[in-house]
Amino acid sequence: MTETTLRDADFDETILAALPHVVRFARSLAHDEALADDLVQETYLRAYRSWATFNPGADARRWLFTICRNVYLRHREREARVVDTSGEVAELESLAAAMEHGQADRQGLGDLLDRIEVAPAIRAALAAVPEVYRTAAILVDVDGESYEGAAEVLGVPVGTVRSRLFRARRLLQQSLYKYAVDAGIVRSTSPPSQGMDA
Amino acid sequence: MSNSERQQPALIDCETAARALYDYLDGRLPTATMGAVHHHIEICRACAGHFTFARRVLELVPAALPLGDESHALRLRIVGSLNAEGYRGE
Repeated sequence: MTETTLRDADFDETILAALPHVVRFARSLAHDEALADDLVQETYLRAYRSWATFNPGADARRWLFTICRNVYLRHREREARVVDTSGEVAELESLAAAMEHGQADRQGLGDLLDRIEVAPAIRAALAAVPEVYRTAAILVDVDGESYEGAAEVLGVPVGTVRSRLFRARRLLQQSLYKYAVDAGIVRSTSPPSQGMDA
Repeated sequence: MSNSERQQPALIDCETAARALYDYLDGRLPTATMGAVHHHIEICRACAGHFTFARRVLELVPAALPLGDESHALRLRIVGSLNAEGYRGE
């Protein structure tokens, strides 16, 4: 077996095996399936070109997610904008979410999850969460990354991951509420987001 | 103060509990604060409902996004582009 063949066998075992995870991650970044496929292809090309630099003890999935996100960011570089994600904002968001839920609970949201087809509702709700927050939720809540692992992928401090995660989860709950209203499952009085945003 | 008194969790209000919601669910609070939040949701029905709802949503999220079912065409496309780089795997 040649050196190249051995190297490529390692690549297969370590990197290509993670393809389903990378596809899911790319789709969470780019809603457009064709764009997501482009991101995945470019991620694998870059991974292959950099394969010699990969530390065999490192987390391959995390490495691929980092490459994928960088590819995505370059793609939408012109649209990049700074988002305030301070911890205090996150705490206020959490409080607002609690207050909203208190209101929603009185309208029957408490058992909402038993009355809607949850998976499509969650997918739609997550799709409505801005990418900067959604990515944190995908990494931690879907892929099971630690806050620290997500921070490594996103290139931000752990506190920023926490803030983004808080906001993503809050927006997810808010979107589920709107989904329920649109489906006629709960009665809309005043939308829970109104007047609650800091 | 006796030992049993010292071990009583601190009393917190709903606002404090709400601020700690996700840190509590993720187990990222100091032990004493975890205990205080836990105690609060045991005695506060409104917060208990909210915490349960939030926990259930988090539990349901992974199943709502199954692993990407990459198409055979995408895999072929990736392998094809890697082949152009000298890849000889698969």
